Amino acid sequence: MVRHDGQRAGDSQRAGDSQRAGGARRSDAARLADHAEIDRLAEDLLPALIAKLGASGLGELEVREDDWTIRLRRPADEASGGGRKAGERATWSAGGGSGGPTVNPGSGSASGGHGASVARSLAAVGPGRAAEEPPHRAVATSPAVGVFHPRPELRAGARVRAGDRIASVDVLGIPQDVVAPVDGVLGASLVEAGEPVEYGQELVRIELLGGSGPAAPGHGTAGHGTPGHGPAS
Amino acid sequence: MFQKILIANRGEIALRILRACRTLGVEAVVAYSEADRESLAVQLADEAICIGPADAKRSYLSAPAVISAAIVTGCDAIHPGYGFLSEDEGFAEVVRAHGLTFIGPPPQILERFASKEGTRRLLADHGLATIPGSNGMLRDELHALEEADRIGYPVLIKPSAGGGGKGMRMVRTARELESALRVCRSEAKAAFGDDSLYLEKWLDENRHVEIQVAVDRYGHGVHFGERDCSVQRRHQKILEEAPTPALSEAARTALCERAVRAVVAAGYENVGTLEFLVDRDGTAFFIEINCRIQVEHPVTEMLTGIDLVATQIRIAAGEPLGFGQGDVVARGHAIEFRINAEDPDHEFRPQSGQIARYVAPGGPGVRMDSHVYPGYEVPSFYDSLLGKLIVWAPDRAGAIARGAAALDELVLEGLITNLPIHRALLKNEAFLEGRMTTNLLDRVGSAAFLAAANRS
Repeated sequence: MVRHDGQRAGDSQRAGDSQRAGGARRSDAARLADHAEIDRLAEDLLPALIAKLGASGLGELEVREDDWTIRLRRPADEASGGGRKAGERATWSAGGGSGGPTVNPGSGSASGGHGASVARSLAAVGPGRAAEEPPHRAVATSPAVGVFHPRPELRAGARVRAGDRIASVDVLGIPQDVVAPVDGVLGASLVEAGEPVEYGQELVRIELLGGSGPAAPGHGTAGHGTPGHGPAS
Repeated sequence: MFQKILIANRGEIALRILRACRTLGVEAVVAYSEADRESLAVQLADEAICIGPADAKRSYLSAPAVISAAIVTGCDAIHPGYGFLSEDEGFAEVVRAHGLTFIGPPPQILERFASKEGTRRLLADHGLATIPGSNGMLRDELHALEEADRIGYPVLIKPSAGGGGKGMRMVRTARELESALRVCRSEAKAAFGDDSLYLEKWLDENRHVEIQVAVDRYGHGVHFGERDCSVQRRHQKILEEAPTPALSEAARTALCERAVRAVVAAGYENVGTLEFLVDRDGTAFFIEINCRIQVEHPVTEMLTGIDLVATQIRIAAGEPLGFGQGDVVARGHAIEFRINAEDPDHEFRPQSGQIARYVAPGGPGVRMDSHVYPGYEVPSFYDSLLGKLIVWAPDRAGAIARGAAALDELVLEGLITNLPIHRALLKNEAFLEGRMTTNLLDRVGSAAFLAAANRS
């Protein structure tokens, strides 16, 4: 499966810039807005879609949201078969591109406008890893129905241990702890701060440590303030 | 009128409330537990929100979960259905404190009617004959024995809170009373979180007759006639019908009028049901009031054509009733069969499992209120009600004939249901002659009852 959490944001910008160099000039604000939007889609939607596509027998999945369209397509040889781990590629692009997931900034600008091609291979993160083993990932879920509040000091990449409080859900003003279900590294937050969440909703992804994973240590440690405790194996 | 209502219940009543909301043009959000994710109400709802795990204490009975769900989904009112938090005045108060409306009587009125024993005295003051009972709650065993002696055996031990037969025992001697008290207390504590008990005189041969009323905020009250719920097994209603075969039309009208006058005078608001025991001589003793929509409300809807759930919502929103007693016209006869996932051959043990086939009956005067569908997994965490079959006809014989046909048409496969008991009832002489009393099934024994029907 595709791995992209944690290190994606920086790569994405570089890739975007280089690919857009020849395209139309755009304001910085517009570019930043696009990047933010792409990040949001990458973190919120794409992983869920990939999982859905993987679990289904479908060859293609398309989702429209606001000005964006995300289309996820299995390579033809895999759509029918079972083995999807090796060589799977997920490509983000604006305005076409065949195979893999595509993200299109809408409003008709996709094909010819400013967003001409924000494209990069997500599979490039941790090359070869995807082929080795299925993802080791867990998700912290909501303990209650209420309003989601991440811990601001905890960013993606932070080490957490099972039981660490990584966020909270406010129930009538009383915070309920969202705890890490496993030891690992904080991945994408699946819900925006201040958003309503229901019981059991997936909130924050945790990348399990161990193996040759793209762990991103050094972003601080969650929980009880014991810096430097090692990854679980 | 409300903008958006949170439906804080499950099963057929969640669906029934959803339908009322749609009729009224009000948006609705279905709150559900993890065990009800695949429920029909969730599937049909425009919006649904998971409020907790299967354990009702952490979902349907959790005031914070329910209120938080209402707030985050932008609801301005909460419909509690029946059971769960529907008559919890503490919950109603917290709902109000959060700026939302509880669909039911306002909290201060729920509180006034919260104690069954206190309500009996209140309505006695307003002219209703009440069943002789203990003076207040039972303080201890000695007090219970003294009160039972004064009332005269047999007596019924009843919990002050809740319903559904939990914590209730009929005892005929002081010795039985002593041993039953402890059991009742622990049952009541477990079921309602309140172990206060009181005593009522037990009438061996009685009918359970209840009067449906609605009172708006401005003191306009009407009654919708009565329902007869005498077909019971261990204090649980199985079949309800209206009008009651136990009373003459004049007696029924007189009782209904007395009932609605008393509740209006006592300051009741919203829909409610006054329960009476009717003895062999036709004397009706008030026993308790239910401050909620009841399972058997469709019986009355079939007779009057009035949507009681919509009426309940409108009253809670502060609307005047909009019709008077003269506008409530009851026609014909209706019977409701409670279809439960219970095994009649094994002490009516609740069943869970997947519905393999389901075909709802139809035809003139046939209504099926049910949340099941083929493939639906009946969870084991909640009550065993699968649905309610309600039939209407111009007269009782016609309703019985339609009921028999509809029961035969109903297909529910995949788990064991109590359908045989309904088929047996419709062949039972006492039922056909309108002579059912609340103790009949238990006295005869369900097994013997079923066997007798099979022989006939």
